Order: sequence, then C-alpha cells, then structure tokens
Amino acid sequence: MSGRLAGRIALVTGGRGGIGRAICARFAEEGATVIAADLSETGSVGDAAPGAFQRLDVSSEAEAEAAMAAVAAGHGRLDVLVNAAGIEIEKTIEQTSLEDWNRIFAVNVTGTFLASKHALPLLRRSAAAGGASIVNFGSYDGFIADPGLAAYCATKGAVHALTRAMACDHGPEGIRVNAICPGYVDTPMLQSFFAGEGSGGQGGTVETLEQAVRDVHPLRRYGTPRDMANLVLWLASDEAAYASGQLWVLDGGLSAQVQQMRT
Amino acid sequence: MMLRGKTAVVTGGGRGIGRAVVEALSGAGARVMTCGRGERPADLPAAIGWVRADMALPEDVERLRAATEADFGPATILVNNAGVQVEKTVTASTDADWALVIGANCRGVFNTCRAFIPGMAGGGAIVNIGSISGNQADPEMALYNASKAFVHGLTRSVAVDHGPAVRCNAISPGWIMTAMADAAFDLARDPAAAQADALARHPAGRFGRPEDIAGAVLWLVSPAAGFVTGQCITVDGGLTAASPLQPGLF
Repeated sequence: MSGRLAGRIALVTGGRGGIGRAICARFAEEGATVIAADLSETGSVGDAAPGAFQRLDVSSEAEAEAAMAAVAAGHGRLDVLVNAAGIEIEKTIEQTSLEDWNRIFAVNVTGTFLASKHALPLLRRSAAAGGASIVNFGSYDGFIADPGLAAYCATKGAVHALTRAMACDHGPEGIRVNAICPGYVDTPMLQSFFAGEGSGGQGGTVETLEQAVRDVHPLRRYGTPRDMANLVLWLASDEAAYASGQLWVLDGGLSAQVQQMRT
Repeated sequence: MMLRGKTAVVTGGGRGIGRAVVEALSGAGARVMTCGRGERPADLPAAIGWVRADMALPEDVERLRAATEADFGPATILVNNAGVQVEKTVTASTDADWALVIGANCRGVFNTCRAFIPGMAGGGAIVNIGSISGNQADPEMALYNASKAFVHGLTRSVAVDHGPAVRCNAISPGWIMTAMADAAFDLARDPAAAQADALARHPAGRFGRPEDIAGAVLWLVSPAAGFVTGQCITVDGGLTAASPLQPGLF
C-alpha cells in the first residue's frame, strides 16, 4: 500500500531526531509533504534526512507561532501535526534541579501544548475539508516507572492527560488527537540511557545490556524508529478515522507482563 | 473490636493468605467460618468454624452457607480467598487443569457470591482475592492469569448489581510468601537467584506477607471503607508501579 497520506501536509516536531526522522521518511513514502521541525538541520542524529527543514524550539511560543506562520504561508493548512520533540533526564527527583525540571517540562509538555495550540487554526482548515489529526508522544513510562527517570515519567503522564483533553475539546471540530506510547526504541536517547547512569550497568558492556533488554521483551527485541513511524502513520491516516483520545502503547509486549525475574 | 457481632466466611482459610484473613477478622471480633478441601487444620483456633467443602461444587457451597447460618447466624462478610494455580501455557494445559483452575478460582467465587448475597439484604461486604496476574501476565500461568481477570470482572458486576446493600471489592496481591509463591520460584533455574532478583524489584524492599493482605481485607470490610466498592486494590509492595525492564538489575 502506498499513498496513504497523498496530498497531506504534515509537520513533525523533533523531525530530525531518532524517531522523528523515521516518521518524516515514512510519511514521505506515503505521499505526504513533510515539514521536519527541529532545533537544527541535522538534529540529534547528525546527517541528512527527508522533509523540508523548519527551525523550531518547541518551548518557545514565538518560534511555534513563526513555524505555523511559515506553514500557513507555504501550504495554507496543516493536516497532521506530530509532536515528537522530547528530551529525557536520567535522574531521581532528589537529583533533579528545578532548572532540569523546568527544561524537560518546557520541551515535553509545554512544547506539545504550544505546537498544538498554534497549529489548531491550520488543522481546523483541514478538518473542515475532511479531517485533521494530532499525534502526541507519550511513553509507556507514563504508565509504569523506569527507575531514575522521574521527571521524564511525569512529563509523559502529563502528555497522556493532555491528549485525552485535547481529543475531547477538538473532536467535535473534526480534529483527532492520539498519543503513541513507545517502550524501548533504538534511538540516540536510548543509547544515551544505556551508556549513562540510568542503566546502572553492573559490570556488563552496552552489548550485554542490550541483549538483556531484548530478552525481557516478549518479542525478544526492542523497537525500531520505523516500528513507531508505522503506528504514527496509521494514526495520521484515514484508516484511523474513528481513533481519538487514546494512548497507543507500542512496546513489543513489555508492559503486558508482570516484572520478569532472572531465572 | 470493630467487627463484634458480625459473621464472616473466608474460603480457603486453612493456611496462607486465607488463614491470615481468618485471624484478622476473628481478632477484630467477628465470628468466622472457613473451609477447605481437606480436614480441619489441627492448629485452627477452636472458635473458628470449619467445613470441608470444595467451592467449585454448588452443593458444597450451600452446605457451607447452611452451616454458617446454623452456627454463627447469616454472614455479612464474605472473603473469597480459595484458589489454585497451575503453572502451564495454554497448549500444555489439560482439560483437568481447566476444570481445577476455573472450578476453584472462577466458579467458586461465583458459587459463593450467589449463595451468600441474598443473606446480605441488610448490608454486607465481599472481598475477592484477585491478582496482579489478572492485569499483566505471568509466564506459563495462562489459566491462572485468566481466572484472576474473571475475578476482577465479577467484582465490578457484583458491586454494580448488588449495591447499595452489598459492597464488593477485590485485592490484587503481588508476591506473597506462601507455598504457592515458593512453587513459582521453583520453576526458576536458580530459585535463590530468582528470589534475590525479584526482591530487588520491590520498592517496598521485601516480599508480601499474608498479614499484608489480611490488613487490606480488614479495612475493606470495615466502615472506614464504606464508600469503596467495585474496586481492585493492588497490594504488591510497588512491584507493578515499576517497569518490567530495569537495566540496573542486569
């Protein structure tokens, strides 16, 4: 199947990051015109990527307004907004400074709020012509906690609640709002987590840790950015026309199980 | 003695969690009847009633109800604790496994609710023992996991259909150190290492004790929980609040 987003205009925040660029690529394959909004042209991955680049710091209202003004000028409407920009801080609350806390909320929660708020007038134009949708990035960490990720878990819980609230408020206008809740996905963020204090790596290497992580998943692997992009694609497409207000966990079955003891 | 004058029935109260519930309710002043498929345990205090009965059989449950009423008066507290566990996947499970697990864990709870609710027209409290495994799967426990999800569902139905007279709640225990939990650890290649690892996954820093569940039961049947009904309360030392994947433990 192809052309599932033919003729659609989509903006992906964090569009140069690990998952964001996979979404841009997937959308482009399906015929969308993609705008990759990020802090820099290369983002956290550091090479070329599909989609027109739009500079956007999602924590800045002025930049959110400017980005949407650019979309309005270029395309006159917006069909799909994906709020994929996000950061992670690997700390307990005691280790988290107020500055850390404000920074992660500014990106993960305020960023979702600002991009959505200023995209709404453009999404409304598309909704009137058939449908528009927002896909937010929650996390399985919004349901159950990974140790040493306190503020991150809290931001994702906030995104989950905001997703439901936005779906209630804007569903009557024809704007669907969903969140995808990834588990472990192979991204620069995950590699940083593996390498950092968050892993608590006890004598093993990153490779042994990665294998152990795979083994805990019922599907015996962790996710790829393309796995995430495939769900975002479905949520953004007409096939998901009745899907709204939901939190879609995509974690290889990780959270379906009770904690798995080593045997 | 907040349960003085009340009659309570606890199924499967011979040992483990059920026994702790029997002692907690008795300690709070209730007259307690319990039951099991075997003989009366020698160490069961004399004041506690015992009926040898299989909860999977409606006629046994009726006998339990009649004996309770004759000895202690109508029960207004029912704790459905009796349950069995078979450690198998779906394809490994036999028809006999199905009959055993579904009979005790599902049909048993249905049988007792059906038998005792009519006697609770003037008010009553039911507490069912569910499990965290009713929400998330333990491997190779297919019928057990499914049977506990049934318990959670029936809990909500009883609360909705038979309120306001009857309050009905469930408790989802995590790892409680009983013979049943020991059997689960025995499945591990290295039971001691498995136990140490499992312990590290509990924010409370220990496994549960039967008394932990008995304490929750006592609260749920008490007037302090008078506005609590239809709920499944997790008592697991924080186990399910954490991700199943904790790289720090590898």
